[in-house]
Amino acid sequence: MKLKKYMTLTRAGIIEALQFRMSFLIMCAGNLLYLIVTYFLWKAIYASVDTDVVNGMTFTDTLIYLVLATALYGFMEMYLVWDIGRNIQSGKIVLDLLKPMPYRRYLFWSYTGSFVTQFFLTFLPTFIIVAFWTHGAIPLGINLVWFAVSVVFAVMINFSIDFIVGTICLYTESIWGINIMKQVVVLLLSGATVPLAFFPDKLRTIVNFLPFQSIYNAPLSLLLNAHPTAETVCTTLGIQLFWAAAMTLISVAFWNRSVRQITVNGG
Amino acid sequence: MEPIIEIKNITKEFKVLNRREGLKGSIRDLFSRDYKIVRAVDNISMSIEQGEIVGYLGPNGAGKSTTIKMMTGVLEPSSGEILVSGNVPYRNRTKNAQEIGVVFGQRTQLWWALPLIESFRILKDIYQIPDADYDEMLKLYQSLVDIEPLLHKPVRQMSLGQRTLSDILAAFLHNPKIVFLDEPTIGLDVSMKAKIRTLIHALNQQKHTTVILTTHDMGDVDALCQRIVIIDKGKMLYDNDISHLKQFFGSYRTLKVRIKGDLKQYADEITEKLPQCSVSADDEWISILVDESKTTVMQVLGELQHHYKIRDMQLEEISTEEVIKKIYEEGVK
Repeated sequence: MKLKKYMTLTRAGIIEALQFRMSFLIMCAGNLLYLIVTYFLWKAIYASVDTDVVNGMTFTDTLIYLVLATALYGFMEMYLVWDIGRNIQSGKIVLDLLKPMPYRRYLFWSYTGSFVTQFFLTFLPTFIIVAFWTHGAIPLGINLVWFAVSVVFAVMINFSIDFIVGTICLYTESIWGINIMKQVVVLLLSGATVPLAFFPDKLRTIVNFLPFQSIYNAPLSLLLNAHPTAETVCTTLGIQLFWAAAMTLISVAFWNRSVRQITVNGG
Repeated sequence: MEPIIEIKNITKEFKVLNRREGLKGSIRDLFSRDYKIVRAVDNISMSIEQGEIVGYLGPNGAGKSTTIKMMTGVLEPSSGEILVSGNVPYRNRTKNAQEIGVVFGQRTQLWWALPLIESFRILKDIYQIPDADYDEMLKLYQSLVDIEPLLHKPVRQMSLGQRTLSDILAAFLHNPKIVFLDEPTIGLDVSMKAKIRTLIHALNQQKHTTVILTTHDMGDVDALCQRIVIIDKGKMLYDNDISHLKQFFGSYRTLKVRIKGDLKQYADEITEKLPQCSVSADDEWISILVDESKTTVMQVLGELQHHYKIRDMQLEEISTEEVIKKIYEEGVK
């Protein structure tokens, strides 16, 4: 694999993302609003019970978790379903299919630029602010390395899920409903909106067998755990690796099958 | 010499759901298995040599785009064989993509937010164009059109003409063996059309690139193509030199007259009086296509003068446009 062929798409994505300053500012403002709402919501939740610790998490724990989840969302969310759907409807997908590389790879590398940009522009600043604000509530050690590895797997899983849902658009030719459904399912079951610790036991057991928790819960739990056992790290990363591989295979197979269907029956 | 594109008896059928009307019909459609088969391309064969410019013509919905999509590998033919530069396009789409360039008049493959030069750099990397070839190509472009001001302009700020021009340059950038141009001059003004025709012609000459051009603009055909292929309703109507076509219809001439009054109404009357001619009217002229093997222009003119007061007249040799219109209407006998 000649890396330059793909890295050029990363580079283009970075330049492209930097073109839109306003959209970046507005996104920051939107995230801030969301965080304010989250703060008061959880404050009310903690005020309504007598104990300081709910489901093993203090108010500060919960808030740090959710702030970082929002920051992570800022750079992992990629509107892939929306883009694929729109390209199918407008027919531009034909031009993308005629690039001299497989479509899925072309899309993935086109998005890497925005991953890099968003990581430095939204996640990193948020992380630093939270780290200072909470006076060391976020441990800074080997856990950062585990977190970094975990985020790479998370990105791969998230991309594959989006790509599978995007492929469904080939059949439905509608985007909006599917996209909203995917967003709700992924954000809830991944632990991005509510920490998994707050889920009822049964639901948590089910969620543990699904790929979604590997997207937000896994990297965040590795990040916030100062002294994880070797076993915890291995299981978490192992499960992520499994899902990354499985979802990649499924999305590639599903796409190849679907695109054949389209080329046979017309689109 | 081996032909660069070889198509043998390709047919493409689509399965289309028979839609019903109204709310009730739409709901029933959700569960319907009532499909009909539409044959978009019906048993077409052709073989195209390296370096040719072929005009691929037909009315809307004739199956032009479907054929092009099969040649590029986006669609798989229902039956028949297709070879593009030795590849079966739909089996080897990625490999085939390296050998071809495409421009679809209404869409752009350029990076919307970036200056043109960035799009070129990206294409250079993804097509793995060697530095020397890339520089040479840019130099060639510079000698053909003034690209310097375009290079640093973001694509989204370009006019339609500038964007189309840029898209054509992008399609030729990796020096492909074949370039497919699907209605490249649609919506452009006269001077931009001329510029784009000159550019396509020059690139074809310099790089010996095969060009497959679909268009509704006969100006494109007259300026660029030696050979034309005409299809309608998926069937091939004509595949030969453009001069042959004109000769075939050489006995036709167009008489244009101007009469005071409602031209459309006169046109209907004249149609009745001269059943052997085809008559049409626009805002200024009534055009009468005369087949000189049946009747002469002088006879028609005499007949007209007998009934109307003719204010002005013109005589035109038949244009490609009219020949093609005639083929769409009647076919080649």
